[in-house]
Amino acid sequence: MNALEQAQDILAAWVQAWHTPEDNRFDAQVAPADLISTVQALDDHGWGYLVAITGLDHGAEAGEMEVLYHFCRGAAVLTLRVAIARGQAAVPSVCAIIPYASVFERELAEMLGVEVYGTPDPSRLFLPDDWPEAVYPLRKDAELD
Amino acid sequence: MSKEQFTIPIGPQHPALKEPGHFTLTVDGEVVTGASVRLGYAHRGIEKAVESRNWVQDLYLLERICGICSHIHATAYCLGVEKLAGVTAPPRAQAIRVLVAELERIHSHLLWLGVAAHQAGFDTLFMYSWRDRETVMEVLEQLTGNRVNYSANLLGGVKFDVDTRVLETILSGLDFLETRTHHYLDIVSGDRIFLQRTRGIGMMTSEQAERLGVTGPTARASGVRRDIRVDAPYAAYDRYPIQVVVETTGDLEARFIVRLKELLETYHLIRTLLDGLPEGDLKTRMPRRIAAGETISRVEAPRGELFYFIKSDGGDQPARIKVRTPTLSNMASVTQLAVGHQLADMPMLLTGIDPCFSCNDRLTTVQTSGESETWTWEKLRQYGIASYRERG
Repeated sequence: MNALEQAQDILAAWVQAWHTPEDNRFDAQVAPADLISTVQALDDHGWGYLVAITGLDHGAEAGEMEVLYHFCRGAAVLTLRVAIARGQAAVPSVCAIIPYASVFERELAEMLGVEVYGTPDPSRLFLPDDWPEAVYPLRKDAELD
Repeated sequence: MSKEQFTIPIGPQHPALKEPGHFTLTVDGEVVTGASVRLGYAHRGIEKAVESRNWVQDLYLLERICGICSHIHATAYCLGVEKLAGVTAPPRAQAIRVLVAELERIHSHLLWLGVAAHQAGFDTLFMYSWRDRETVMEVLEQLTGNRVNYSANLLGGVKFDVDTRVLETILSGLDFLETRTHHYLDIVSGDRIFLQRTRGIGMMTSEQAERLGVTGPTARASGVRRDIRVDAPYAAYDRYPIQVVVETTGDLEARFIVRLKELLETYHLIRTLLDGLPEGDLKTRMPRRIAAGETISRVEAPRGELFYFIKSDGGDQPARIKVRTPTLSNMASVTQLAVGHQLADMPMLLTGIDPCFSCNDRLTTVQTSGESETWTWEKLRQYGIASYRERG
């Protein structure tokens, strides 16, 4: 059994849909409520490491955003895709399981306006102190000078 | 623990590191009890800017994320976009990408050796290592026309070939650097005064390294066998395999040894590569519009794993590019490892991960409670050197 098949096994209980966008990659659609359980399961089995968190804004018309959690093990990349409503963009923090995710979550919050509830340090990481409130630069409709 | 706790803000101006970052250290006497970081002083909004430029323009923009490891950013981007377009660059182009990436690693590791030696107050080592670094800088200039931002990559290939004259310069340069690297290995593992600053300092076990998410030479110095060039070979690394250098002691000394031994591996790889450079074209045709889809491109930068997520909606501009640089991953280890160490060890601890702030920024506001004093990086560096001198 290769690494991705193992991951498929571990996460079978929570994943709504699987996609194979490329060789060595699996995308797993996960409900926001199941995110912590899936990350915990990966951690319990020692499957790979969290390499990055990507926020995707699909625009005001679509009204949807996605938060992607990329885990790597050797050449295999497993992406947990969490779809959230753009109006109530929020995901739970994974820092209780993966403490170093803090910097990734701070970036996600300030750049895309996704609330990461339970994150240990909600302060800004990159944006300056005088950056206006509620302006999230990586949202598609952000109005920047 | 006494009631007296002081907060020492360091930065964001760091004359010694030449790059801005801000650290807030809480100390009880000489011992650090807490540390936090804020970045962003070199944030240029590149992830946003790429969304309003075309695929070709973005290559030039992304190559400028970092002045030290510019080529590896461009390589990660090109490999990703080529994958989306269903195009593969010719074998000779892939080999030249590897050649420039490895020359860049030599320049980056020698630059780090000098900076780290300077932080420890060993300026002779700093000056010699930077003198030697000029060898590889001249090779890069002769090969690409530039000392930094080589602009070697094109979407679909590379811009230049390796001619016989450059080949000779590279090979003689490697012979000289190999002798020097053996000499530096002797120094960092044998010089008693230098070892005082590195041996047993900043210890990180392999379990800690995994928990803190560190990557690259910092992780490999703690026994984590992870290198994208071997784990998921890209460009031409499947043709030119390397031996992963791993040390298990996990202290600052190990981080020196890993980087220096990696240089020896790199010299070997370049010689093998030049010996059997595949013939053929330097580039292939790329479409102006890139087929819709998402891809992930992972490469081994000098500081560790560099991760690109690229999304296209079928147009002539990317819909989203996410860049996760190795320094951001390594930064958590500094704030965690700082706790329990002497204040005088901070410059060396931070330098140990080989931080690259421009890569990162793309991290701190100080809470000054009561009486506080802002230290410059230079002041802390001098403090560290003086402190160890007093202890003898």
